[in-house]
Amino acid sequence: MATIHDDIESWLAAAVHEELSLDERREFEAHLVSCAACRALHQDQINMSNMIQNTLTAERPDNAFEQRVLSGFRRNVPQSPVNVISLFGRVLQTRAARITAVAAVLLGLTQLGTWLTVDPHGSELAVRAASPPGSLAGLREQLADQSPRAPAPDFLDAVMRDARTSAGPATASRPKSGTESTRRPDEMSAPPPVAAAQSRSRADAATTATAPAPPSPPADAETERVVVTGSYIPPAPSDNAVDQLAVTTSSEDSAVSPGATPGPPVGVPDNRKLIRNAQVELEVVKFDEAVQRITAFAAEDRGFLATSSSERQANGKLRGQLVVKVLPETLDAFLMKLRGIGEVKNQTLGTDDVTKQYFDTDSRLNNARTMEQRLMDILKTKTSKVADLLEVEKELGRVREQIEQMQGSLKYLDAQIAFATVSITLAEKDMNLPAAFLLKRRAQLALFSTDVEKTFAEAKDVVDGAKAQISSSSLDRDSTGEATARLTLLIVPEEADALIDRIKGMGRVQNYNEQTDRIAQGGGTGMSDTAKVERDKVELSITISRNEQEPALQTTHLRIVTSEVTDKVARLKESAAKQGAEVRSSSFNRTPDGEEFANVTLRVAMKNYPALLSSFDQLGKVKDVSVHREDRRGVINEETAPADISIQVYSEGNIVTDESGIIATIRRTLTQGAAALMWSLRMIGVAVAFLAPWALAIAALVWIVKRVSRARAARRADEREES
Amino acid sequence: MDFTERDMYRAAIHGDRDAFEMIIRSFSRPLFAVAYGVLQNREEAEDVVQDAFVKAWKTRWRVRDPEKFPAWLATIARNRARDVSRARRTVPLSDELDEAAEPVAALTASGDLNGEVQAALASLPETHRVALTLRYFDALDYATIERTLGLTNGALRGILGRALQTMRKRLQPALASLE
Repeated sequence: MATIHDDIESWLAAAVHEELSLDERREFEAHLVSCAACRALHQDQINMSNMIQNTLTAERPDNAFEQRVLSGFRRNVPQSPVNVISLFGRVLQTRAARITAVAAVLLGLTQLGTWLTVDPHGSELAVRAASPPGSLAGLREQLADQSPRAPAPDFLDAVMRDARTSAGPATASRPKSGTESTRRPDEMSAPPPVAAAQSRSRADAATTATAPAPPSPPADAETERVVVTGSYIPPAPSDNAVDQLAVTTSSEDSAVSPGATPGPPVGVPDNRKLIRNAQVELEVVKFDEAVQRITAFAAEDRGFLATSSSERQANGKLRGQLVVKVLPETLDAFLMKLRGIGEVKNQTLGTDDVTKQYFDTDSRLNNARTMEQRLMDILKTKTSKVADLLEVEKELGRVREQIEQMQGSLKYLDAQIAFATVSITLAEKDMNLPAAFLLKRRAQLALFSTDVEKTFAEAKDVVDGAKAQISSSSLDRDSTGEATARLTLLIVPEEADALIDRIKGMGRVQNYNEQTDRIAQGGGTGMSDTAKVERDKVELSITISRNEQEPALQTTHLRIVTSEVTDKVARLKESAAKQGAEVRSSSFNRTPDGEEFANVTLRVAMKNYPALLSSFDQLGKVKDVSVHREDRRGVINEETAPADISIQVYSEGNIVTDESGIIATIRRTLTQGAAALMWSLRMIGVAVAFLAPWALAIAALVWIVKRVSRARAARRADEREES
Repeated sequence: MDFTERDMYRAAIHGDRDAFEMIIRSFSRPLFAVAYGVLQNREEAEDVVQDAFVKAWKTRWRVRDPEKFPAWLATIARNRARDVSRARRTVPLSDELDEAAEPVAALTASGDLNGEVQAALASLPETHRVALTLRYFDALDYATIERTLGLTNGALRGILGRALQTMRKRLQPALASLE
């Protein structure tokens, strides 16, 4: 029980205050039984505790103490109306409020970012998307608001009323458009009111213009009717579609009004004066046959062939123009018939309304006739003076001239109106077939010759003896005495191959190439099995140049080390001459160090090459032999092909370098050491320069963090002090 | 700490005046004990308790953890009491000397037991004294005292043990005379 004894004071206190647990109490009592000192202390402790209890009980606050404190508090802190700021602070105390506030701030920032970055279109969309979930009703309401402004539905009704009179597929597809319009009224309201008004006025104009609408041929009406039916199909009639509707209504009206009778002119009131004409471009198999059939067609419909012209091309194909006059009523039927003759390449149809011009002229004619009658009356009465009569006569003549003029133009117009003009352009098929082909053969030959002039003269001789002619020849000699000859020959095709072979034999062929062109003659560039093929003269260009310009078949580089350079070079040249080699270049150098270099370049025929190379071994030590061979096509004779050998004969210098010996070595070592030191210094500098900003930044960060935490600690201490 | 108590603290922190008045009712005596422990003067201690509650109300939002509310209240009261005690000590030196001399003389003269106990209490360190007053005024259990003073478990036993030991030594003659 040493622990209790050692720590008896806390045990005593806890025992006196009855704060010992059951076990502790048992332990403690056991110890007291065994330890007399502790027992005495415990007794003292109880006595003292009672004393303290007595003393402090006297000092205890009275019963009214709490009430006093409370009233004092109420006095000091009056129940004031809630302070807004404190309320705010209190609200912020709750975690939920804090989270909400942070979320609100974030959301606000996000919204701000959206406003700043997204274009107004997108935001509008977003607004639309953000409308409440039950927005179908809202949307409908919105549309209801918009609909009075949107004239489209009214207009659509009008169109539908108009269209009710028309028959066919348009009627069938109409309900579709109706449902569409109710389902998507927002899009229907899309066209701005101005455009809608425009389209409406256009539609009105079309409706009122029904009577005087220019008669359109059935073919066109057909196509337009197709457009009509199509225009009702688009699911969402847009601005464009509304316009289209307007257009189609007008066309529909004009197309429908002719009614059951197919020919448009029949439906048109008789007093309209129209000149109809058409241009057709046809491709036919046989020109003459086509002309006959067209004439027959014209005659069937009481028409006639007015003019015809034809022209034969180089390839035997015919091309021509016909002008046919037919009755206007039968024009369309005639055009349909034309399609049977050949392939229609192009067709245009035109109508010229001359009503106004015609009736103007007619009324002016009537006036003139009245005038004429009155003048005649004046003449008949003969009551006036002779001078007046003469004047009347003169006037009468002028009026009659006018009458004749107008009658003439009316007649012309009548003629024009009475018959429609059809201009037909006929062309036979395969118009661009060539009439013939020309085979043109061109050849280029490059020759090497040891004697350019001689070969040139030989070539000329050969040509003179053959069926060929020289179209140009030249011989150039440059400053170094190198000659190049050029010849251009025209050879009869039959002899060409033989002649070319003979010329090839005059020298070594560097290259030879030839090309053959097939040139179409007359007509186009197309293919033809029937056109005949002719052979043109063969053009041969020959270039003769000297052997030296010929690149070597094999190039060899080697070096020979020897002590007597000049001597060895002389011997080298000797042995080269023995093998028939040609010295192309030779040079000699001596350096201040005593080194000697001689460069020699030789050209030798391939057959002598091995012998020459082996003769070099006697001259000295052969080093660094490199061989480069370039095989070319067309080089047949390998015996005579040139091989280049470039030889460097040199001696090693006998002067000892002064950079040797112990002092030089030490100096070199020191220099290198200093350089290495400087290098490492520089590296250290670089490293410092690289690391210093980082170290500084980290130090600054640490300093700031320390300052902040110290300031916070100080503030906390202040608070504690305050409270 | 049971849940309702904790709710009460939280409500008080959030400005519920009724909750705070309830706290005043239940905590004014322990706070008095604390203040008395520092000052050993009833009137001053009562004033300190008043002031402490007013201050606690005004700065209640500083308490983040409702569990620590009692300890925080005790800290306020103790600091306030210290302020008062410091102000008392700043009175002229002669007065203090007189004041200090007089009670001792009076005590010795009267031989009053209460006076001796008070003197012995006065000689204790403040923490010891506060622990004793808390215990003897309201017979608070150790756990509550620990919570009020912000002490860890077990520390209070040591404090009270040492405090009573010191007291016993001071009061040895009186105890001896008792026997």
